[in-house]
Amino acid sequence: MAFQILLNFILAFVWMFLKTSYSPASFFVGYLLGLLIIYMFRRFFHTRFYLLRVVAVLNLLYIFLRELLLSNIAVLKVILRPKLNIRPAIFALPTELKEDWEITVLANLITLTPGTLVIDVSPDNKILYVHAMDVSDIDEAIQGIKNTFEKAIMEVSR
Amino acid sequence: MKTNDVILQTVTKVTLFIIILFSIHLFFAGHYYPGGGFIGGLMTSGAIVLLLLAFDIKTVKSILPIDYIKLTAIGLLFAIGTGAGALLFDMPFLTHAYTYVNMPLLGKTSLHTAVLFDTGVYLVVIGVTMTIIQTIGESE
Repeated sequence: MAFQILLNFILAFVWMFLKTSYSPASFFVGYLLGLLIIYMFRRFFHTRFYLLRVVAVLNLLYIFLRELLLSNIAVLKVILRPKLNIRPAIFALPTELKEDWEITVLANLITLTPGTLVIDVSPDNKILYVHAMDVSDIDEAIQGIKNTFEKAIMEVSR
Repeated sequence: MKTNDVILQTVTKVTLFIIILFSIHLFFAGHYYPGGGFIGGLMTSGAIVLLLLAFDIKTVKSILPIDYIKLTAIGLLFAIGTGAGALLFDMPFLTHAYTYVNMPLLGKTSLHTAVLFDTGVYLVVIGVTMTIIQTIGESE
């Protein structure tokens, strides 16, 4: 991945030198041409074509912003309700993520979306303990987190 | 004895892209400077030949699954298409038109139908060269 980005930058600079025009526009044109060539030879590399990973990162960002908006509205509804009939719970969330940064990102995503909060991570990095404000079905909550955040993070690191 | 080609292969991995970028530069330079479809196509196929030298025919086929005979046909269609396109506007065969367009990135650019004709030349040159080299290379 890093090699592909580095190669793309080198190609953009080579293009600028060939054109002897050192403007941002010619850098961009060279970058696009380099991207096209790297795409043509994408089977040449051991890793995936790096633009796919960039798309996965953007997708993760979109999912985060969407969840942030939706669950803020959910919390607002709970606050404005006259009676407080919520059911708080702490549950264990088994995770398949391995790398340190993946677990950190997952925990931060869970915490930043209101309604859920990561309390602790088990010593072997396999289980996250999550406090939820209002859970009617624990399995549903686990599946919800797994299907959105964990899947999107795996898509980035794959 | 099978020798280890790791240096050749690693150098190929970087130089290949620079050669192809240079061939694209030559291709687009054709209108105002030395260059054009023929030399650009030859240099692109030169890059693929470098790939063939560093790896074997099977690997190159899996990296670039291109049918070069079809590529030649597509190039010829490009050339005939741009020539025949002039007939639609009541002009003689192979009359070319051009216009100046302000592109978002490239600035003031002249779009010329001769570039499409050159694309045809480019594809035919790659197709023919690679067909010749691969046919000779595959026969025992």
